[in-house]
Amino acid sequence: MRAAVRTGWRIGAAAAALRSRAGRPLSQAAGEGGGAEGGGGSGSREAVERLVREHPVVVFMKGSPEQPLCGFSNAVVQILRLHGVEDYRAHDVLQDPDLRQGIKNYSNWPTIPQVYLNGEFVGGCDILLQMHQNGDLVEELKKLGIRSALLDADKDQEKK
Amino acid sequence: IPKPPLSCSPSPMRGPLLAAAGGAMGGAGGPLARTIRAKLTAALQPTHLEVRDDSPRHGGPPGAETHFGVLVVSGRFAGLPLLQRHRLVHEALRAELAGPLHALQVIARTPQQWQSDPHAPPPPPCLGGSKREQRRR
Repeated sequence: MRAAVRTGWRIGAAAAALRSRAGRPLSQAAGEGGGAEGGGGSGSREAVERLVREHPVVVFMKGSPEQPLCGFSNAVVQILRLHGVEDYRAHDVLQDPDLRQGIKNYSNWPTIPQVYLNGEFVGGCDILLQMHQNGDLVEELKKLGIRSALLDADKDQEKK
Repeated sequence: IPKPPLSCSPSPMRGPLLAAAGGAMGGAGGPLARTIRAKLTAALQPTHLEVRDDSPRHGGPPGAETHFGVLVVSGRFAGLPLLQRHRLVHEALRAELAGPLHALQVIARTPQQWQSDPHAPPPPPCLGGSKREQRRR
């Protein structure tokens, strides 16, 4: 399921860098898990790799951004929304058991949701929340050419 | 043997608390809670450890032991980014995560971080996802 709700911000140079990137993200540890491997299945490493590189911000979750079906997945959606990030790729693992297992093998991470920035696994709901609270998320979004809405919110406050 | 906790103040984590490091009387919480506590203690020698069974908040019956939250304070986390800290916790609980442990909230801090901010955010509310799943995890 795609959540392609468009907003006005531009990806710009980040998208070009994403396509030309040769190195592999560190998070791609050797996955030992069985199942959903090989072939062209939706849970294969190749299929997952394509998905995580599709967009600067990719989320694997339960449900959709319009209707999250899990509190942890909803937390990720809400945090992104706070930063004004509405245009991203969201994949509902409840719709695809092969993808659900495949994404866990790929990142060597046992739970959903999973957040990828610029093709690199960043963590789940807990980590995203901490990044939001300590300011790291604003910085990471900036590296992707995304200006967090919170920066503008601060500016509005100063004007008053 | 775990070191004595640096802080003996009441835990800020909400929900039924099962034990704090060094003060565990045993018998608190179900078997999975005890296993989680034991494995995290052995793997990370935490100075402060809280294990919270969130299963009732996710629609499970009492004693379901499917959703847990852990707060781990350990010097082992020093110098490690959040991702690596969480991976250490997952590694310690690998068998459980492959089995009955369906969800795991993790807060991983160094003793220094915990002392300067002895508070943990509450877990997000359940949205009923587990009831709508067609397969476990």
